[in-house]
Amino acid sequence: MPEQIVAKLKKEINDVDDVKLNMIATEEGDVTLIYFSSLIEKMTLQTMVSIPLTNNIKQIHQMAQYVDPKDVQGVIKRLNTGQTLLFFHETNALLSMDTYSAPTRAITNTETESTVIGPQDAFTESLETNISLVRRRIQSAQLKNENRIVGSEANIKISIMYMDNIVNHKNLDDLRNRIDQVEFPLFTDISVLKQLIEDNPLSPFPQYYMTVRPDSICRYLIDGRIVMFMDNSQLAIVCPTSFFEMFVSIEDYYNRWTTASLLRMLRFFGFFLTIMITPMYISALTFHPEILPYELLLNLQESRSKVPFPPLIEVLFIELIVEVLREAGSRMPAKVGQTIGIVGGIVIGTAAVQAGLLSNILIVLVATSALLSFLPPIFLMSNTSRFVRYIFILSAGLFGLFGQMLAFAWLIHHLLSLKSLGTHYMTPGIPRKPTDLLDNVIRFPINYLTKKSGISRTQEKTTEEK
Amino acid sequence: MNRKLLGISLLLLVLLVGCSRKELKVPLEDIGMVGIMAFDYIDENQMKLTVAIPQYALEAQQKTQVFSVATDLVSNGIVEMEKLSDKKIVFNQLRVVLVNEDFARKGEVRKVIQHLYRNAEVGNKVLIAVAKDNAEAILKGDYPDKPNINIYINDLLEPSINTAFNPNTNIHDFMYTITNPVTDTIIPYIEKRDDKIEINGVAVFKGNQMHEVIKPEEALIVQALLGRKSLAPLHLDLHEGHGEEKLMIDLIESSIKMQSNKSIKSPKLIINLKIKGTLSEYKGEREYELNTVESISHLEKDINKQLEVDITKFLDKLKNMQVDPSGLSEKFRMYYHGTWTTKQTREVIGKLKTEVHVETSIISTGTLK
Amino acid sequence: MGSANLKMLNRYHVIFLAQSIMLGTGILSLPQKLSAMGYTEWFMPILFGIVATLTLWPIVWLCSKYPNEHLFRINEILLGKVLGKVFNSLFVIQFIIFSAGIISNYMHLIQSTALPEQTITLPVLCFLLLLIYIVSGGIKSIARFCMMSFFITIGMFYFTRWAIEKGEVSHLLPLLNFSGKEFFNAFKEGYLSILGYELIVFYFPYIIDQKKAFRHSLIGIWISIFLCFFTTVVSVIYYSEWQLKNVEFSVLNLFKAGEFTFVERIDIIGITLWVFLILSTVTAYVWCAKLGVDSLFKKKNKYELYVIAAIIFLIIRMPFSREFQDKLFTASNYIGYMLIIWPIFLSMIYVVRKKKVQQ
Repeated sequence: MPEQIVAKLKKEINDVDDVKLNMIATEEGDVTLIYFSSLIEKMTLQTMVSIPLTNNIKQIHQMAQYVDPKDVQGVIKRLNTGQTLLFFHETNALLSMDTYSAPTRAITNTETESTVIGPQDAFTESLETNISLVRRRIQSAQLKNENRIVGSEANIKISIMYMDNIVNHKNLDDLRNRIDQVEFPLFTDISVLKQLIEDNPLSPFPQYYMTVRPDSICRYLIDGRIVMFMDNSQLAIVCPTSFFEMFVSIEDYYNRWTTASLLRMLRFFGFFLTIMITPMYISALTFHPEILPYELLLNLQESRSKVPFPPLIEVLFIELIVEVLREAGSRMPAKVGQTIGIVGGIVIGTAAVQAGLLSNILIVLVATSALLSFLPPIFLMSNTSRFVRYIFILSAGLFGLFGQMLAFAWLIHHLLSLKSLGTHYMTPGIPRKPTDLLDNVIRFPINYLTKKSGISRTQEKTTEEK
Repeated sequence: MNRKLLGISLLLLVLLVGCSRKELKVPLEDIGMVGIMAFDYIDENQMKLTVAIPQYALEAQQKTQVFSVATDLVSNGIVEMEKLSDKKIVFNQLRVVLVNEDFARKGEVRKVIQHLYRNAEVGNKVLIAVAKDNAEAILKGDYPDKPNINIYINDLLEPSINTAFNPNTNIHDFMYTITNPVTDTIIPYIEKRDDKIEINGVAVFKGNQMHEVIKPEEALIVQALLGRKSLAPLHLDLHEGHGEEKLMIDLIESSIKMQSNKSIKSPKLIINLKIKGTLSEYKGEREYELNTVESISHLEKDINKQLEVDITKFLDKLKNMQVDPSGLSEKFRMYYHGTWTTKQTREVIGKLKTEVHVETSIISTGTLK
Repeated sequence: MGSANLKMLNRYHVIFLAQSIMLGTGILSLPQKLSAMGYTEWFMPILFGIVATLTLWPIVWLCSKYPNEHLFRINEILLGKVLGKVFNSLFVIQFIIFSAGIISNYMHLIQSTALPEQTITLPVLCFLLLLIYIVSGGIKSIARFCMMSFFITIGMFYFTRWAIEKGEVSHLLPLLNFSGKEFFNAFKEGYLSILGYELIVFYFPYIIDQKKAFRHSLIGIWISIFLCFFTTVVSVIYYSEWQLKNVEFSVLNLFKAGEFTFVERIDIIGITLWVFLILSTVTAYVWCAKLGVDSLFKKKNKYELYVIAAIIFLIIRMPFSREFQDKLFTASNYIGYMLIIWPIFLSMIYVVRKKKVQQ
């Protein structure tokens, strides 16, 4: 009976004041409109539903969908996604129309991954906008996307996109399995989902690439990777990915190959420099003074004679101060942030040296390594490099250069054992295909970069074997 | 399995930090890095050990601290010296080792250098020199216009263009030549004059003992025979029929080829020396005639003859002394089956007949004609 | 044992495994061990390479007859259960002592040059922890680690250029200037430095392309031989005969000759980078020991790796005198020779048995 159904519905959505029930008299009798007013703009409701109902009810019957009224959960899901339910009292039919028009942010420049040249648009929090940003770049029927719902309490939409003729379907199945096995109430951002479907969640290194730029995403799609979007999340993740790609910025492809290679080498070796410089200082001063040339050593002795702490404590002290500055700078409200930044950077640095708490050579080293740690375009990677640096500092403090090399061996082994969606994380270091080396630390000119990279294990091979 | 491993290892590490003995670690500012060591001969059992440690503190009066003890063993001496100094003595930055002439003539140098060679702290690039009279006086002397005795001696003995006769012997070279039956060691010989230190010549060793001092010109010949590519400015006196002529050849590039006749019974060595240089100064009869190519080639021929005479004279001197600083007998060892001993080197040098050919080519005479 | 998804080592893994296991602490003192022959020792590495090739062939032949079994199982099959288990346990003990010898050697070297004032307990412990971490990843992770360590440490050979500049090539002549006794001595001492390729008997079942395994291991062996040859030649050029005999760790002294403007003592960096090579060698031996323990005991013990590491630690830090330790390690070195001869012995038994079966 229709009233029972409406009563059941009313019980479910009791105390949800957002839901509006309007009764409109039409040619075919009374129609009750049920909808979430926060998800639907008034103009949309008018033009799509109310006006056709009163004037041209045939249009409604053509455009709307029939809904099974016994499936209360399904009906509520539709309401939640912004559809308007039309209940015809005369015929006991339940129709629904898609009128979702919640306000979304306009497409703006990216603040976290900006480039000098190239397209400047970035993803927003709306899933539809993001998918449209990708579709307008790859205009092909092979670009598939599958929608799923995750989150047991929140029911958030995610979308998996891939190129059907290029991607490796085993990877896809693997990914789908992992997502289906996830049980979590709410995903505020896609990075939370990422940590749940990674191969090695305990490792400090990120195993999937995350970005807000549509041009990066499109490049990876054509390369045969799988991309995931989530509603209300600005980031998109790409899998599988490798360690070397964490140092790749999309601007490398817009620059010429000489500049691009130079910048990539800088980023890549910057990573290793940033984890080695300050531990070198500690090990040279505490264990192996004979490494440094004579004049430098005299200089160092002079500046260290005023400092009361051993080098390890000194370095930890200033590294922690730099971390505090950085963290406070990102959490502080913008108005207050500027002043404190100047206070921290200049005053603390100079005053500490003069007060005899730190040596000035060390401040130069720490500032350089802090700058170098921001080189990788992926934010998660720069955070990781800071964490790894602490491990190196501690091991250098324990055993000097030997400790550093032990930590380095540990790092290498850890990186070698990581996997990203089943493929090894260090793949271009131990290349699957010779053409992988062309786009690695050094980028060869674009006309050489025609083959897909080995990490995606694309279907190219099978079509070529035929 | 991995999580358990992580947990156990972290626990172990934290607990075992207590086992390390941290109080032995001396921080950088409390170590005294010895820059120069000097050995003087006192008598058969005793030697005098002097070290110079640079001071970095700006408030100190002296730029260098010098300590002196008399001891029988090197390590004993270091221990004694630590009683005098407030800093821990380390050899990480040792640059120069000076030995007294008496010390060298008595043959004690090898023991001392071998001790330093064995020491893992000391690098192999430490330079060695023999000091006339007293090495301690050199270290303790006052050099008002030089910043630091460490830097002064180090720079003096380092390879430089104008002291190409200096063999720049370091510890490795010393151990190499003294243990190699084919060569005899050569070490620069320095002397203190008032407030300056001068490299007077080169000391040649025979076996473990210092034998003689040779002049810089002869030492230059040794360097040329050893194959050194760029020799110092060469100063020549010509007596070839144009009266007394003096000239200087600068920016020399030399290359040498030696061929032996492979026989030990009557060894003969053919030496071909090619010299390329710029004529920088000339004093003599032909001064105003040297602007044509023919006169230059005449001059070159005269230079060749003079150089051949000089080199042959020097090689005869070596023959009489039976020392071989330039490793000429290596060319014979190459073709000899069996173990080569020092005795054979002496024999070969004693019987060596040489034929020297010099080819000079003067590339230019500076910017004026 | 013997299921298809065990096969995980492709040809690069095989090449670099063979190569890395051979280069450990051996190459550091190789010129000194061969010094009984004087200057003419420089072609000995090539001779070793030829001998290694010849002895590799019967090893691979035997392994190809049992493509899915490693040596411990082959022992049991060919010699019967009891005798096989006895020899297996001997091998396990030998591996443990050998690894302990290598680690102890290296740690003493580090202590004398890089860390002069510390006891070696704590560094050894950290080293063993890292060892456990790598070995628990299986033979494939060891092989990948070997590949990486090869590329990271190959740059060190550039540091020998100062030694080459200073050296005299005339040391290389005369050729063949030795007596038989000298040759024998040098061979005996020197061959130990390049042992390691025989471990293929243990990881053979994991190789994907078993037919070409011989060729690939040969490539790895000859890469190592070439590196040994190179360092021996440079040492002969640079040192006098006395220095060759008396300087331990000749290769590190070669590094001492070098200097950059911003770093003075490169040998310290060289020594500490050497830990990669040591790790790549010792992890392979410990993995073989673990495999042996697995096959000796019926039930799967999850902690055998920790037990092995603890035993190694105890051996190194034993309160016995240094002399006893030295004797122990030298003995285990000579038993290492056995492992090369062993497959030949086993092949003969195999042939005999096959004939019996056919009859």
